[in-house]
Amino acid sequence: MGWKEPPRLVNLPPRDAGHGTALPRLGSWMIQHLTAIWKFRHFLYALVRLDLRLRYRRSILGVGWSLLNPIAMTVVFAIVFSSLLGGGDIPRYVPHLLIGMAVWGFLRECAVSGCKALIASECYIRQSPLPYSIYPLRVVFGQAIHSAIALVVAIGVTIVYKPDTSALAFLYIVPGLILGFITAWAAATIFAFINVYFQDTSHLLEVGSQIVFFMSPIIYYSQNLTDKGMQWLLDINPVQLFLELIRAPIVTGQPPSGELLLIGVGFTALMAGLAAGTTAWLQKRVIFHL
Amino acid sequence: MATIDLDDVHLTFTVHQQKRVSLKEYIVRGLFRRSSAMAVHALAGLNLTVRDGDRLGIIGHNGAGKSTLLKLIAGIYPPTGGERTIQGSICSLFDISLGFEPEASGWDNITYRAYLQGESPASLKGKIKAIAEFTELGDFLNLPVRHYSAGMLMRLAFSIATAIEPEILLVDEVLAVGDLAFQKKAQARMKELMSSARIMVLVAHDLGTILNMCNRVIWMEHGVARMDGPAEQVVNAYITSVTGQPPIAAAA
Repeated sequence: MGWKEPPRLVNLPPRDAGHGTALPRLGSWMIQHLTAIWKFRHFLYALVRLDLRLRYRRSILGVGWSLLNPIAMTVVFAIVFSSLLGGGDIPRYVPHLLIGMAVWGFLRECAVSGCKALIASECYIRQSPLPYSIYPLRVVFGQAIHSAIALVVAIGVTIVYKPDTSALAFLYIVPGLILGFITAWAAATIFAFINVYFQDTSHLLEVGSQIVFFMSPIIYYSQNLTDKGMQWLLDINPVQLFLELIRAPIVTGQPPSGELLLIGVGFTALMAGLAAGTTAWLQKRVIFHL
Repeated sequence: MATIDLDDVHLTFTVHQQKRVSLKEYIVRGLFRRSSAMAVHALAGLNLTVRDGDRLGIIGHNGAGKSTLLKLIAGIYPPTGGERTIQGSICSLFDISLGFEPEASGWDNITYRAYLQGESPASLKGKIKAIAEFTELGDFLNLPVRHYSAGMLMRLAFSIATAIEPEILLVDEVLAVGDLAFQKKAQARMKELMSSARIMVLVAHDLGTILNMCNRVIWMEHGVARMDGPAEQVVNAYITSVTGQPPIAAAA
């Protein structure tokens, strides 16, 4: 069967000018977009608060539940895997695992729940011309607060195991946290747009995240991979980037290297650019698909 | 001053047989043939200038592009061609019963919706009581809105939507809100809003309402304005075209 042109009743006029692909234009457009989001910050803030309230109300333990979950996970993992993958060194393995899980959980949840952001907000989208990326941002904000709790617990446990952890280490992770937040927002935005067009996106993301989880040094050490000559697997894994930016400084007490920071900034800028490009490209059509 | 300027506005969207496909399906099928997508030209080069004091009615057959035009003015549909320039704060009264957070209380939903309409916590503070009073929902406002009946939701939605003093008011069809007592109240509120807004745009099938409320009417057909002028003149021409004979009112 040959290629068939879709029937066209009319000539499609060119898309609105102004939103071209030229980079400076995209930049100024991004600033406009962010200003618009800032204008509706009260709306965003109120909904994030609602999400958190509902999330913690559903469990009897409230916020405690979000603490209990990683702790229970870690106890199990520490017992099972510390001898298997961690060489039996619990004081080294547990902080590694806990912080890794907090970082991973944030990135995973932002992608998987963020991708439903536009579909779930259809009623708002049909009512008000708000910038589209405010809806993924709602998800990412809620997730960030949730994960921040997990991270605080992880850091607390780290201090218990390693009382000599330098306070400076917590300053070193700030760039990683900021970059991680922006990357997660960008990823959630991109996936949310894709999910409007392809309904199995969230399913594919869940499958994909399983693969990435085992590809990333979360329950094992990076060393386990490099020893086997699989350094390349770490180099191509963006999750590893954020593990290095956030976990490594706490565990080692060393600031991230300039090179690593540069890669982090570059990757985040790339993701932000992709997200802005996707939004600029699809924002005028996505409503007809919802 | 409030203004609406549409300059050669086009709105074309593609309608697919199936709204959302799975990626798997798309790859398997899409590689070989494109889905039977059809482009719909909902607005085809519309020019419109509305200024302060205009009470604009939009009439026309179903599918003529009336509601699309209203949503385009509201900024919900982007024009795919041409320029849309709006000055002034907009209040749109359509689809208002959508977009509640079902798990949140009536009070909370008032704040969310008000923020969505551009209020700030400070500006809402002075209004929230009046909004709640207007709904007449009393203690029900403390319940999650998923327990509300359709009528109660409409009351809530209407009270919030009409709480701001818009410069541009967009109304789609006549709103049937709640029970009889509330309808009376709602109509009074609508009248008040319509007279205080600088610009009003009303889409309705009831020509009597249009003649009552509007001083200018456009008659939409196939995405363009077939006629634009003083209310009575356009409505009469429309009736003549539909029924094949001049309306009695005009003959008298």
